[in-house]
Amino acid sequence: MKLQLTHLCPEAMSLYGEYANLLILRRHLEDLGVEAELASVPLYSAPDLSQADFIYMGCGTERTQKAVLQWLLPHAGGLRAALDRGAAVLFTGNAMDLLGRSVTDRDGKSWEGLGLGDFTTAETEKRTPHDVIATPALWEGAAVGFMNKCSTASGVTSPLFTALSMGFGNDREGGGEGFVSGDLYATHITGPVLVKNPAFTDYLVGRLFALHGWDLPEARPAYPHEAVAYAVTLRELSARLRG
Amino acid sequence: MRMLLAIVICKLLRFIGKLVGKGSSLPGRYALKLCPDVLGRVRLPKHIIAVTGSNGKTSTVEMIAAVLRAGGREVVYNAEGSNQIEGVTTLILTHCTLGGKMRGDVLLLESDERYARYSFRYFHPTHFVITNLYRDQLTRNGHPEWVYDAILPAIHPDTTLVLNADDPLVACFARGHAPEKVKWFGLEQWNGDSEEHRGVYNDGALCPVCKHPMEYDFYHYAHIGAYRCPACGHCRPKPDFAVTELDLAAGRLVLEGDTPIQLSFRSIYNVYNILAAWSASRLCGVEKDTIAGVISRYILKNGRMVRFTLGQHRGTLLISKHENSVAYDTNLRYVREMGGRCSVLVIVDAISRKYFTGETSWLWDIDFDQLACDTVERVYLAGTYVNDLALRFDYSAVPREKTACFADIGQAVEAIRDSGDEDLYVVTCFSDRDKLLSRVQVERQEAKEA
Repeated sequence: MKLQLTHLCPEAMSLYGEYANLLILRRHLEDLGVEAELASVPLYSAPDLSQADFIYMGCGTERTQKAVLQWLLPHAGGLRAALDRGAAVLFTGNAMDLLGRSVTDRDGKSWEGLGLGDFTTAETEKRTPHDVIATPALWEGAAVGFMNKCSTASGVTSPLFTALSMGFGNDREGGGEGFVSGDLYATHITGPVLVKNPAFTDYLVGRLFALHGWDLPEARPAYPHEAVAYAVTLRELSARLRG
Repeated sequence: MRMLLAIVICKLLRFIGKLVGKGSSLPGRYALKLCPDVLGRVRLPKHIIAVTGSNGKTSTVEMIAAVLRAGGREVVYNAEGSNQIEGVTTLILTHCTLGGKMRGDVLLLESDERYARYSFRYFHPTHFVITNLYRDQLTRNGHPEWVYDAILPAIHPDTTLVLNADDPLVACFARGHAPEKVKWFGLEQWNGDSEEHRGVYNDGALCPVCKHPMEYDFYHYAHIGAYRCPACGHCRPKPDFAVTELDLAAGRLVLEGDTPIQLSFRSIYNVYNILAAWSASRLCGVEKDTIAGVISRYILKNGRMVRFTLGQHRGTLLISKHENSVAYDTNLRYVREMGGRCSVLVIVDAISRKYFTGETSWLWDIDFDQLACDTVERVYLAGTYVNDLALRFDYSAVPREKTACFADIGQAVEAIRDSGDEDLYVVTCFSDRDKLLSRVQVERQEAKEA
């Protein structure tokens, strides 16, 4: 069993410790007997996604995000092809914005998006940083983390999180957050999101096994630091929610 | 008339506030309600120096104040750290005559980087020192470019910018500013530099101007160093004020090739604080010898380094702001470079003392691998977020058998007290400092280094 995990623009799109998402995923896969290779695709290089089984991008500054978008736009077909042949894709932070039809920046300029999602994003004058408690659409239990965004997304019909009890959703407080379409996943929740949410990691591991027709072992390793860190964060945020 | 009323009310409220131990923002807030443009009406001193940036503001301001006073200037500054417009208003009006003339030769302001544009709406600094822009409190600040964009509107064309030449983002403030109104400070190459970037992330990877890859001749630390962008030409300017020699181990540096200074605290941070203070003081006309004399005798009084005893351990608390990986990295580097047999306690309990958050992604930006060395015997992790810390360490080069985790800080302190006699370094934030200091025997003199 062998998988390639591809990190797009790690040197550019890594504001909130996002590289850790890949470290966590790799270790979980390796602990299940998968040979998981990490590959990096730096900004301005020619991305070869033909061998990628999991493709990830994290959050960048708004100006960096636009440079990345301009570079990636001609390669949108490669990303779509990877999805079509059974790769999973996760974009977090404002990398999510790239997946839609367009991004309108603070000066009102519209940037063409990758068009993998039928939504549009508009940047806002202010940021809406906030701790998050979210209800996942695809797995059980609450998700936790933080969002540090300055944009709203309109037109998402299939959010990754159906509602938030804490934090700002795609277009309003408490509303649905993120985007999912097949095995394309996107969210503004950082943390990093897989570090903070072992259940999301488990879900992705399950999908990667399913996409390759592998059977998930019955016995799964325990990750007590992940589990307790999640429980403590949920406890602290919930206490805050109750006031 | 409104100005007079604002001054009187401000002085009165400040007087009462001091009696009852209240903060310094409220009098200014009321004064601004009475006279919103009062800061544009009062007559300010000849020199107005503002200091902003992610790290080192308070230390730099205190150092500048000490130097200028030694140089015979009467300095008014916000020693209480009230660095938003209300606090600045209180400071200015309480030092005004009823006629609206501010006393003193120099108004010195530590300025919050996000709110500087509000503080400087009705007046502007003659000199604006910008120390650095790092990832700092990103839960509030977003990211360094966001902070850059927030500072930019605070810059007046008549202001002389005093900029850190070694920070590629700070250097962007000079773009579009009259060149004769930009002064640069920087550290020249020294033997602590590296050719390769050190750390978990590199905010100097891309040019802040054109977003193409940058090249470095050398890194001092993080993204601070000698950078150049082959695509657009953005590069480190030649400093007007430079540390030309540095020997951190010996605690000595030389400024402008001719002025040696003894370091009271051997940290690269302190070098930059000194550089910023030196530059601002020189621009105000203080003699080199006067500055050197003050700085060589200068002892940091901000409680960021505290000596203590715990059992058989000689302890040092190194304050490292949570949500600020550069501050952590610098202190971890200090621990590693001190070289003696030691253990390290890292506490993450309350992430901020000012607001609530459960955000811990910044732990992944810290280069904890620096603790993977023979001299570090144990790494104790403690606090509410100990499992987040432990998880971070699971992915570091520090052997797992060297770490011990305690959700309860008291239990961590007891465990350390009851075993060993190696030196102990505690790395934590202001928000968690007293949870340690209340449990150890603190030495009375702070921050003194032989």
